[in-house]
Amino acid sequence: MNIQNTNLGQAWLVILLSVIFGISLAGVQAALGPKIEENKLKETLAKVPVVILGQKAADDLAAKGENLNIKPNTVSIDNKGVKKFYTVYRADFKNGTTAGWVAKTYGQGYADKVEMLIGMDFDIKHVTGIFILDQKETPGLGNKIVEESWRSQFSNKPTDTPFNVVKQGKVGINEIDAVSGATISSKVVTKLVNQTISDLKLKIVETHGRASLLFNSDEKSNEKGGK
Amino acid sequence: MSKIDRTAEVEETEVALPILNVAPSPHLSDVKFTTMRMMTDVLIALLPLIAMSLFMFRWYAVKQLLICVIASLAGEALFVSMRGRKVTLKDCSAAVTGIIIALSLPATAPWYVGTIASFVAIGIGKVIFGGLGMNIFNPAMVGRAFVMISFANLMSAGAYENSAALVDAISQATPMNAFKSSAIPTPIFDLFFGFTNGSLGETSALAAIIGGTFLCVRRTASWEIPASIILTVAILAGVADFSAGDRGYLLLHHLFGGALLFGAFFIATDPVTSPLTSFGKVIFGVGVGSLVMLIRLFSGYPEGLMFAILLMNAVTPLINRWTIPRPMGDA
Amino acid sequence: MADQPTASERFIQGILPENPVYRQLLGLCSTLAVTNGMKSAITMACSVAFVLVCANVVISLIRSLLKPHLRIVVFTLTIATFVTIADRLLAAYLYQMSKTLGPYIPLIIVNCIIICRCEVCASKQSVFIAASDALGQSIGFGLALSSIAVIREILGTGSLFGIHILPSAWPDWVIMVLPPGAFLTLGLLLGFINWLGMRKSGGRGI
Repeated sequence: MNIQNTNLGQAWLVILLSVIFGISLAGVQAALGPKIEENKLKETLAKVPVVILGQKAADDLAAKGENLNIKPNTVSIDNKGVKKFYTVYRADFKNGTTAGWVAKTYGQGYADKVEMLIGMDFDIKHVTGIFILDQKETPGLGNKIVEESWRSQFSNKPTDTPFNVVKQGKVGINEIDAVSGATISSKVVTKLVNQTISDLKLKIVETHGRASLLFNSDEKSNEKGGK
Repeated sequence: MSKIDRTAEVEETEVALPILNVAPSPHLSDVKFTTMRMMTDVLIALLPLIAMSLFMFRWYAVKQLLICVIASLAGEALFVSMRGRKVTLKDCSAAVTGIIIALSLPATAPWYVGTIASFVAIGIGKVIFGGLGMNIFNPAMVGRAFVMISFANLMSAGAYENSAALVDAISQATPMNAFKSSAIPTPIFDLFFGFTNGSLGETSALAAIIGGTFLCVRRTASWEIPASIILTVAILAGVADFSAGDRGYLLLHHLFGGALLFGAFFIATDPVTSPLTSFGKVIFGVGVGSLVMLIRLFSGYPEGLMFAILLMNAVTPLINRWTIPRPMGDA
Repeated sequence: MADQPTASERFIQGILPENPVYRQLLGLCSTLAVTNGMKSAITMACSVAFVLVCANVVISLIRSLLKPHLRIVVFTLTIATFVTIADRLLAAYLYQMSKTLGPYIPLIIVNCIIICRCEVCASKQSVFIAASDALGQSIGFGLALSSIAVIREILGTGSLFGIHILPSAWPDWVIMVLPPGAFLTLGLLLGFINWLGMRKSGGRGI
């Protein structure tokens, strides 16, 4: 039988191309992969000080060259058998005291996934600020949730009562004015904030105690530093 | 060369052949029943609504009506002449579109909202499909949908309230929105006579019923459509009412509130974009009614008449296919 | 098919007379999806250009080795490779843009302009001709995308390349940056271009 007519003879070009392309793609990934990961991380990390301290204080700190020491951790929450994972960043000042926590969370918005950061102070008594990382809400209505003027409603509010969305004209301290014409988007963000706080509050404060406020994974490195 | 000219040629040369004249709807069997007569009827029927809007919103209504009518006529003249056709402003259809757009807008909408809505209605809603009778969607609703999505902050429920306005009505929330967002019902008396806020022409149920009855009696509008819409809404609202234990209150609120009656009598009955047969019209009306209630009860919008009518317009060709009887011998 | 067009003819053809969007009606998915701003439209056009040129050159180089019944597999393999490279490059150097474009960069794989050019031109012509064909088509695609994006971005946000150019009193036509705006703009521009074509050819349709 002629080798030209066997399956291999027919397909040698496809196989050869697959190998060449595969190797070149692996090369591209090896070269660019770290940079892409860094981009992803940088996007979040750049926002952590702003969300915890506010834009002005974060700028001041950066001007002084005293960047916060930010450590990412994964916290798992076991809610009635359903496991849920949060990426939580702990931000420490230079002197070692904890400035606050930033949790990354996401949920289904009006149009698509809404991904956001929620900043909390060191004992989760207050929300320090929120930031929307990614959203595709309706332009002109729902996408106003990214605006500082709307987001700032959450800043420095106590966490003991859940936030509640009202149509324009808030009275109570934990009431949030809905973006006009975009009640659903406003409710999604508020629900995510409430959910994250209720999930993380006990976990962070109780399991780690107010004094240390540490995650298990960090205790070793801290001990070393203590010595 | 248009189809009519070609038929005329055939007529001259081959007289013996039967002539099949293909023309766009509205298909009229009565010679006296012209587009012009229909549109005049609609204009007369709209008078109670216009009067009510002038009474409630004063010069806001005057301004909105003038803007939309002028823009619609200008749009018709411009786009039709762009297509190289004879400009036919005299049949009043553009004026009717303009008035219906104006009556479906909030009183406080700025001038460009009405202008853009009218131009889109005539241009994209009508002329692009080939002019009067060829359009799939109700032109006025196409125009309104365009500005509703474009200028959501000027058209959404919140935009109707403007405490700085000089007319009392505008400072209240619209009945549909007050009910949707805070469950505050409006007295049925106010809803029926129209002493509420809302789009210019939708406030008064009484005015819509007077005008609508006139249209149905004159046979300009087919009674099947408004009847089936209202009946469907009544049944569905009745179910909602019964399950909420409102003892008929919710039912009347849904019937008299919002644009339901205005839309049922004046917009859904557009002969071009509604089905041809009686049975088809009933299907159309049931569809509109159910969609209105679906949107009102389960969506983020307080009112859903516009989307309901546009959606049912889209399936009208399908309804026509189902309901038009096939000629004998055609398998 | 007696005389094959020369390289320069193919280049010119791709730009306007055989514009991939307005004349061949190809690649409409990305045309509709990413034209709500000039920045994303230009990024998309450049990515497509990169993939198209590379794929055309590679296919043209190996055209004598292609088996007729395996050619589509080879095309897809080649295109997918270059699309992945383009996607990674964007994620590494234009991270925000790659997030904005989301799945539409990986979806270049199914952009029919590229497989069409591979099939029609690159698998039959020399490298130089294939490359100039790809360049012409890419410029045509870029022009089509930017013509739609200019209209949508100016009407929809009052700005161009993200910079406000209209007075702040301009009411944003939000519908133009939403999907319906894409369909309306594409439809009206297609009509306009057909009308131009009809006028050129003396009042008769194409």
